[in-house]
Amino acid sequence: MKADRVSYEDLLGICACLALALAAHVTSLPVWVLATIAVSGGIRLLLASRGEGPPPRALRLTISVVAIVLLFLRFRTFNGLAAGSALLALTAGLKLLETETKRDIYILTLIIYFVSIAALLEGESFWLLAYLIGVCWLTTATLLRLTTARPAPEWARSLRYAGRILSQALPLALVFWLFFPRFGGPLWQMPDDGATAASGIGDSMSPGDITDLAMSDDIAFRVRFKDDPPPPQERYWRGPVMHDFDGRTWRRSYPASVRAAALTDQGPAYRYTLSLEPHQHNWIFALDWPTHWDLPHGALNGDYTLVQAEPVSHPIDVALTSYTHVQSTEPLSGPLRRLDLAPPAHNPRTLQLAQTLRSAHPAEMDYVQSVLAMFNEQPFYYTLTPPPLGNDSVDAFLFDTKRGFCGHYASAFAALMRAAGIPAHVVTGYQGGTFNRFADYWIVRQSDAHAWDEIWVDGHGWLRVDPTSAIAPERVERGLTDTVGADEHVISRWQRRTPWLGDTRLRLDALRELWRERILLFNQDSQQQLLELLGIPAPDGEKLVLVLAATLTLGLTWLTWQVRRELKPARKEPVIRAYSRLCDKLAAVGLARLPHEGAEAFATRVARQRPDLRLAVDALCRDYSALRYAPADARVTSGEFAAAVRAFRPTRRDSRASSER
Amino acid sequence: MTLSNLRQAAFDKIRTWAARRHGRDSLPITIARRRVYILPTRYGIMLALMLVAMLIAGLNYNSNLGLAFAFLMVSVAMVTMHHCNRNLLGISVDAATEADAFAGHEARFEFRLQNDSNVDRRDVEIVCLAGSAIRGVPARSSESLQVDVPTATRGIIRVAQFELRTRYPFGWFHAWTYVQAALTLYVAPAPHGNRTLPSAGGKGAASGSMTRGDEDFSGLRAYQPGVPLKHMAWKVLARGGEAAVRSYTSLAAQPEWLEWSALEGLDIETRLSQLCLWVLESEAAQRPYGLRIPGKEIAPARGGGHRYACLRALAAHGMAEP
Repeated sequence: MKADRVSYEDLLGICACLALALAAHVTSLPVWVLATIAVSGGIRLLLASRGEGPPPRALRLTISVVAIVLLFLRFRTFNGLAAGSALLALTAGLKLLETETKRDIYILTLIIYFVSIAALLEGESFWLLAYLIGVCWLTTATLLRLTTARPAPEWARSLRYAGRILSQALPLALVFWLFFPRFGGPLWQMPDDGATAASGIGDSMSPGDITDLAMSDDIAFRVRFKDDPPPPQERYWRGPVMHDFDGRTWRRSYPASVRAAALTDQGPAYRYTLSLEPHQHNWIFALDWPTHWDLPHGALNGDYTLVQAEPVSHPIDVALTSYTHVQSTEPLSGPLRRLDLAPPAHNPRTLQLAQTLRSAHPAEMDYVQSVLAMFNEQPFYYTLTPPPLGNDSVDAFLFDTKRGFCGHYASAFAALMRAAGIPAHVVTGYQGGTFNRFADYWIVRQSDAHAWDEIWVDGHGWLRVDPTSAIAPERVERGLTDTVGADEHVISRWQRRTPWLGDTRLRLDALRELWRERILLFNQDSQQQLLELLGIPAPDGEKLVLVLAATLTLGLTWLTWQVRRELKPARKEPVIRAYSRLCDKLAAVGLARLPHEGAEAFATRVARQRPDLRLAVDALCRDYSALRYAPADARVTSGEFAAAVRAFRPTRRDSRASSER
Repeated sequence: MTLSNLRQAAFDKIRTWAARRHGRDSLPITIARRRVYILPTRYGIMLALMLVAMLIAGLNYNSNLGLAFAFLMVSVAMVTMHHCNRNLLGISVDAATEADAFAGHEARFEFRLQNDSNVDRRDVEIVCLAGSAIRGVPARSSESLQVDVPTATRGIIRVAQFELRTRYPFGWFHAWTYVQAALTLYVAPAPHGNRTLPSAGGKGAASGSMTRGDEDFSGLRAYQPGVPLKHMAWKVLARGGEAAVRSYTSLAAQPEWLEWSALEGLDIETRLSQLCLWVLESEAAQRPYGLRIPGKEIAPARGGGHRYACLRALAAHGMAEP
């Protein structure tokens, strides 16, 4: 078993592969797990560099038990992706500690492969896939080195061979991927990890929350309209609605019993597909106001937010229909009215202002206009960097700082409405979007996050009021980047000066969207469409399996041919091939060249035995010698020589000799 | 333990079945496609289990990227199977058994692997009796492998079948083929004894000095394997004649007969051992010698071929020759 011992170099190689595979998990694994793996690897490498074996068994066992118990205490389960990945990674580290023989190396490589796929189960980027295929390549090359009899092949050779095997595997993998039947849902439900916090709109809003989002360039969702998109001032994407205000923070709570009052739609219907990035909440950012949706467990909340049962933890596509103009036919329900009339806590100056204004403007709409006019006429500023506000955030904003972002205005406006007895709430979501003219869809980024208000007007229903439009109307019409002052800190400001860069970004996003649509969301329907494309009528699961079998057979035939092709003896040079054809032709008429005979000697013998062939054979053999040994002096090219050989047809018997007789 | 017994039994079954299926082979033989078998090793089975787990994980999480990676690994395993199989295809095998072997030492089978293709073969293993040897054969070249088999007694070792196998690349698969070729190896008696050479008794030191120096060209004789290359008659070969060897005779050297009958009173094996020692001593002294044992007489000569003939006669004494 001595020969099976792994050396320091072997261990170093496999440790590097493991580290590279674990790098894909670095954000999701607990730090102490990574530390344990690093320490185990370090200890084992140190021992190996001194030519020693693994540490004693008792020590290894203790470390393993402690680590696994700690892991269980941390996750309370080994099921699920986060806990499973952590356990797998920990196993790899502990395995490293006891690695001694070839067998351990095999197990380690298997763990490395599995660690790689675990990173892909919830990952979705092309680069992650490419990176992990790279890791797989490196691991395979390392395995090749470790499993080949000494001396191990050098690195370049191993990498080349492993690369060759991977490249031959790619077409087969593609066939499997395209035609292997997909299931509609999971085989069994895995516990939801839910730990991964996503940036985006949450279920509460404090002053400054949306300002943070405005700095983020991440994509919230993409939209593809069937027909014309709505005009810019109607592109409001509805997220959670905030009813509860404690003086500083708005919260989402609302009575679950309230159902959405019926709406009469007015104006054109907009049909579109929303491709939502995972955001770990259960709401869908539909265009205000959604009426139809193609969502298995989708429902409209009492405040017209479209929600589904499960949080959006995977990218999904939803087909929707919305109307931008609606009217409510029912009166406002009691509980909701009470909720939306709750006056703001604290903020005494705001309450006083509301009373003063309301007594001056008894009509509801006049009052609303006067508040908007106040924003417009008094020195209020729209800014991404508002000064911090205390607990009486509305008071501080309205009377002291007068600088704010959409959240500040929406919050202050709703507070003023409620204080004056008008039911109002804050709606968060997104507003606007960027059109990608390279692929005909709209991109809505986190920086498009927005907050606005809705007030209840008897006889009309909910009315959207966007106070931000009073202070910065262009925000609503053109989007954030054009609105904020030149001195403001916005990530993409410099992009305005370099329009081609924006184009590149849009093109890249078009590619990303293509990746998402074609690769990440590939499913049963896509397979069906693929079969239809291949001209198979009425595709079903059975036909899919048949197509898989057929293409797999083709793929394997190709593979067999590809692999055995190299077994053929080396292709000779054209000149040599032509010469051997000449020899074959002469052998067929009984003039076989002897193995030791050179071209000239052969020609002389042929001339002696068959005078009728003398001229032709002599010329051919001379040309051959010239092409072989003095190509510069040759009278003919190799092509001409080959053609002459093809044209040469010796007869079986000397025709002249027989006719003379 | 029982599992490995079961495995062994299964392989024995396959061996006899393959022997029936392919019939006898004559060397050299080129390994054809239909005689190469392949099965996963235990590491291959481990890999397969992991691939199944990968597929289930990919399907369960409905992850297209996970599935892509799993399918890539499945395909890598399939490609590896083809490569493992190819590692044996088209190799030509030949065997030489005219090597010295003495009882109690290792007997050496020498195999020659010829690779005419454009791909390197790595880790090709030959298993013959209890011995095995492994090595690679680069593209368009040939390599020889020595398989050493331990011997206990003098006699004839007969091999009806040997095995060519490989686990390259990655050791996930085990491809092998059986070659049904009869190989015979003569194991000479262990050379030992305390009798001096018959001639050494009389002439003593004189005979030692005579063998040195004054050698004369005495003529040509047929080539036999083992003759030093410097004795080859290259000019004769170049003229198109048979391979021949210039032979020299030491003027003073007298042919010596190594006689069975000179060892009266010893048992058979001791006699054979003594004769074997004498053969080696005579050859080392570069003196012509002949061997006379019951049923066999070899005329005096010397050189590698002669020496081998003598050792073979000693090995086969009293045995049924094939």
